[in-house]
Amino acid sequence: MRLLRANKNSLVFLFSESEKAVLLDILKLYPCVPPAHHRHRLQSQPAARDAENQRLLDEALAEQRTKTKRLLEGWLRSPRTFLATPAGFELHLRSGDFDWLLQLLNDVRVGSWIALGEPEELPRGLPEDETAAMQACAMELAGLFQMTLLEAIEDSAAI
Amino acid sequence: MSQPAEPLVLPDLEQDTSTRADADLDRGWLVVCWNDPVNYMAYVTHVFQRVFGWNRQKAEHHMLQVHNQGKSVLMRETMEKAEHYVHQLQHYSLHATMERDE
Repeated sequence: MRLLRANKNSLVFLFSESEKAVLLDILKLYPCVPPAHHRHRLQSQPAARDAENQRLLDEALAEQRTKTKRLLEGWLRSPRTFLATPAGFELHLRSGDFDWLLQLLNDVRVGSWIALGEPEELPRGLPEDETAAMQACAMELAGLFQMTLLEAIEDSAAI
Repeated sequence: MSQPAEPLVLPDLEQDTSTRADADLDRGWLVVCWNDPVNYMAYVTHVFQRVFGWNRQKAEHHMLQVHNQGKSVLMRETMEKAEHYVHQLQHYSLHATMERDE
């Protein structure tokens, strides 16, 4: 995956076939962070109000997730997202796509970390357990795509 | 974009005692972001810029507070606005909470 072109309105990346397949596999894992992970606040307060606020937070997050999932499905269906070229596949991202794609990749990264037991120190190698190995891979790959996207956004802002 | 016309309804002057206590309205609420080992520093900076509209320098300052001190107080707001910001930050998968400003 490498950046081909960048300006304030769009980014174009070149993907190999296998990189494209990995990105699509990672995106399919969304949503990954369990809803119960988000707590409303630390400070204690009357239980009834806290429960109500937590319910509102859960609803707001569920609504946003549904919206993001819908954006993802539409984006993946669009023939303009990945264009086949002799060099590989060009991924075309408009400025409106940067943010939700980053959110989505981060959800997969954080969700995989939670599934690994929220280790204070991130695993340096692959865990022996197959499920944990898959989760560690998803976390690292989502992070790799995320950082590449962030660097490209930074470059495009400097243009 | 056009805006709908305002309805002709007189304001309700009766005090609403069923919702928020006066103390909640008087005191501010702090939006706090907590450190974790999984979110990238560049991502946290990006999120602060997006959610609060801060410039890069200010966003980086708060990101470094989170990283070095374990947390950063990002805003002091009314309860409703603090809730809004916490929802936004949590949607970006950051660990954010709100606390009453004592």
